[in-house]
Amino acid sequence: MTAPDLLKPALYRAEGSDTDPDHPALLGGACECGHVFFPPQTYGCERCGRMSLATRALSGAGKLLASARVHLHGGKTRAAPFTIVSVRLDDGPIVRTLLAGDDAVHPGDRMVTMLVPVTNAEGAELLDLRFVPQR
Amino acid sequence: MSKSLKELRPVYVVGIGLHRYQFLSDTTYVDLGLTAVRAALADANIEWPTVESAYVGRALLPMACGRPILRHLGATGIPIAHIENASASGSTAFRQACIEVASGTSDVSLALGVDKPMAIARAEGLTGIGNLADDAIAPFTHFALLADQYATQYGVRHEDIALVAVKNHRNGAKNPFAQHQKERTLDEILGGKKISGTFTSLQCTPVGEGAAAVIVASEDGIKRLGIAASRAVRVAASAGRSQKVNIDATRYDAVLTKETAEIAFRESGISPRALDIVELHDAFAVEEIEYVEAMGICGEGEAISRLKDGEFDIGGRCAVSPSGGLISMGHPIGPTGLGQIAEIARQLRGEAGSRQHAGARTGLAHMVGVGAVCYVHILQK
Ligand SMILES: [Zn+2]
Repeated sequence: MTAPDLLKPALYRAEGSDTDPDHPALLGGACECGHVFFPPQTYGCERCGRMSLATRALSGAGKLLASARVHLHGGKTRAAPFTIVSVRLDDGPIVRTLLAGDDAVHPGDRMVTMLVPVTNAEGAELLDLRFVPQR
Repeated sequence: MSKSLKELRPVYVVGIGLHRYQFLSDTTYVDLGLTAVRAALADANIEWPTVESAYVGRALLPMACGRPILRHLGATGIPIAHIENASASGSTAFRQACIEVASGTSDVSLALGVDKPMAIARAEGLTGIGNLADDAIAPFTHFALLADQYATQYGVRHEDIALVAVKNHRNGAKNPFAQHQKERTLDEILGGKKISGTFTSLQCTPVGEGAAAVIVASEDGIKRLGIAASRAVRVAASAGRSQKVNIDATRYDAVLTKETAEIAFRESGISPRALDIVELHDAFAVEEIEYVEAMGICGEGEAISRLKDGEFDIGGRCAVSPSGGLISMGHPIGPTGLGQIAEIARQLRGEAGSRQHAGARTGLAHMVGVGAVCYVHILQK
């Protein structure tokens, strides 16, 4: 049996990065000027304006900066409550997305990525990226 | 060499007018806008045909809302330009009107902010650049995350951050133009509807509608039209900035606030600790804490203890959000930055009634907007 497809394959992959082979990598970008960013884009570097941007697989591990349990949500695609985490990746960029599960987390905790099953609008099962506390 | 506003000819606020900020109603945007402009004309004691240009700040109303309002004052044919700059739309309209008068292009210019709640798309969501879960991160969650970060960094309790809302609801209760006009206890605020993180509904700005108008004039205009110079309030500085690449990438509003306020302090020669009045973008309680520190009104990590000491109360060292701020007065978007200018002008004239901060001589207005952008103005009497 093959694994389900990824919900957002442009933003992450099942394999890890060189810097962290153990957890799904985020797919960011890097510029010759040294700027490393997420999400990926090819319009031009936000720091220097260069257009020669390379994709860069970023570590699926980092440190929790903050979390918020969301009690009110207007969108129809997901139901509150859920928890949003702000994580500084070991490779630099800060990313924000959902926490998998309901474990209490605290600023400073080590966090890692994982792929969790979600159902898209058409009812198909896919995998989406979440963070969990590192065990 | 480019010049700052202060180096051009002096600009004064000579007329202010508001339509009360309120929950969505049947009131048309035309009524909202006309109420504010007519009040501002009456306040300046001038007639509409003396106004030479108009800047209309709005972020939610559709294209070209200015003339459908202003034509009912008598269509004088003046240039009308619309300004969209997210939450800072009104502040930006004010800056453009000030620049126009300072440059000598006009002697009298109007800045009007007007909006009604309506669902609109944000351009950032249409860039084609992907995101992990931005649909799940509303502004209240963005700031709830920053509140968690602040509380951790400085070891403060989330209940202490909610004290901002206690003060601002107390101020707003005395403001006839405020959307919320009710004092609230800390228990009431903490016990309210949970929104995100530790924020409850009364720590978040309400969604609403309204209008605010400010008329600015040159010294020539003031003399020629017989405007009372004793009630005119000088615009001592105007600064606007947008976000750069920051190391602390999620705290861009505070970083921008520091950078923009520093420009305004330098331009005006007024130091942050000399301010009597500050109106800032307190859409969520933690913002007031972050921005008073970023502006240098108090040291980093000190805002909670200063707040508890009453330093930011009306009658304290520096009255912060005497209008009630965005939390209590409201944030109809287009009007908000102009409502701040109106409140500061009222305070500096000594006309703020029961919420008057005694002896107010200088005031600062601050807005941030998604983008992110930041605008700061300093007024002086
Ligand atoms: Zn670059």
